[in-house]
Amino acid sequence: MGLEATDTDDDAALARRISSRAPDRDAAAEAAICRRFGPRIRLYGLKHLRSEAAAADLMQDVLVMVLTKLRDGAVREPERLASFVLGMARQTVVDQQRGGRRRARILEAFPVDLMPAAEEAPEPIDTERLNLCLAALPERERSVLLMTFYDDRPADAVAAELKLTAGNVRVIRHRGLDRLRDCMTQAEGTT
Amino acid sequence: MTRAGCATPPQELLAYWLGELDEAREQSLEEHVFACAACTKRLAAIVDLGAAIRTELLGGAFSFVTSAPFIRRIKDAGWQVREYDLPAGGSVACTVTPDDDFVVSYLRAPLRDVRRLDVLIDDTTSGKHRVNDVAFDSESGTLAAVTSTVYVKGLGPSQRRVRLVAVDGVEERVIADYTFNHSPS
Repeated sequence: MGLEATDTDDDAALARRISSRAPDRDAAAEAAICRRFGPRIRLYGLKHLRSEAAAADLMQDVLVMVLTKLRDGAVREPERLASFVLGMARQTVVDQQRGGRRRARILEAFPVDLMPAAEEAPEPIDTERLNLCLAALPERERSVLLMTFYDDRPADAVAAELKLTAGNVRVIRHRGLDRLRDCMTQAEGTT
Repeated sequence: MTRAGCATPPQELLAYWLGELDEAREQSLEEHVFACAACTKRLAAIVDLGAAIRTELLGGAFSFVTSAPFIRRIKDAGWQVREYDLPAGGSVACTVTPDDDFVVSYLRAPLRDVRRLDVLIDDTTSGKHRVNDVAFDSESGTLAAVTSTVYVKGLGPSQRRVRLVAVDGVEERVIADYTFNHSPS
């Protein structure tokens, strides 16, 4: 079965393919799992670990553990694979925060040729356009967006620094982000 | 599971990303995003946009009005900040060096009864322009303004005059003027 067909399979179908092929590998199904869940684990890792490197490590670790469980037939509800993967990600982050370092052991025990090199590359952002669009925003919207994204600050923290209410900051941020995305989208449409 | 037509609002995804949701809502939205390719893509787009904004901000691309606490955070993070502190009516000889990451001006003025503050700029290089409704600290009487280091590092000798104007309906009142005399380092 080719990759395109695998990418249309639902989570449960991919999980069952991997389990049923063990101890042999279904490389196409495993690659599809990596493509599908790699970006989600990375985002989860970025949110909770706030580090690209740590998120990349988390993605690698969790995918290895998930594929191992699938090969071992240890995923009892394949139709709930997404919940299973999220649970693995949560547990791994908790382990890391407790100081447990299972990573070296995991990678030693598993071949690394399944790493999700095929993770979808994000669309590059046109920074020249981004600068123009930000410059075109009303001043308060620009201030709030820059102060928010400098270090991913929540509304109440930005509000305290600007002597505004958190609700006011959320409204300004929402408007600014909408305007910014519209401006960026228009730019894409004209190129 | 990816739900066709799923439309979790971007502001909800951003609130999740910034840790603004209560624990129960954060957990349920996290589970949804993890199972929804469309929301994963939308959240990734917001995260990537935020990262691009941060990169450009740290590269000195933007001029913007901010607050003294924000500047303190930037300094605490180790960025090199050149600061000018001007009283109402003040003028300063200013410059920028290659090592400066940010150039900040603190404009002091009596702002206690001001509802809306606009800034009028008259610059011998970039001309005249007006910035409406800027953030300011009325208690301390301070407006903190970051000037793009990309812009200012390319400047030759120039002068910038800045005027703060209080706006109340159709009424406008000049609060203070400042002069920046820039020389390249």
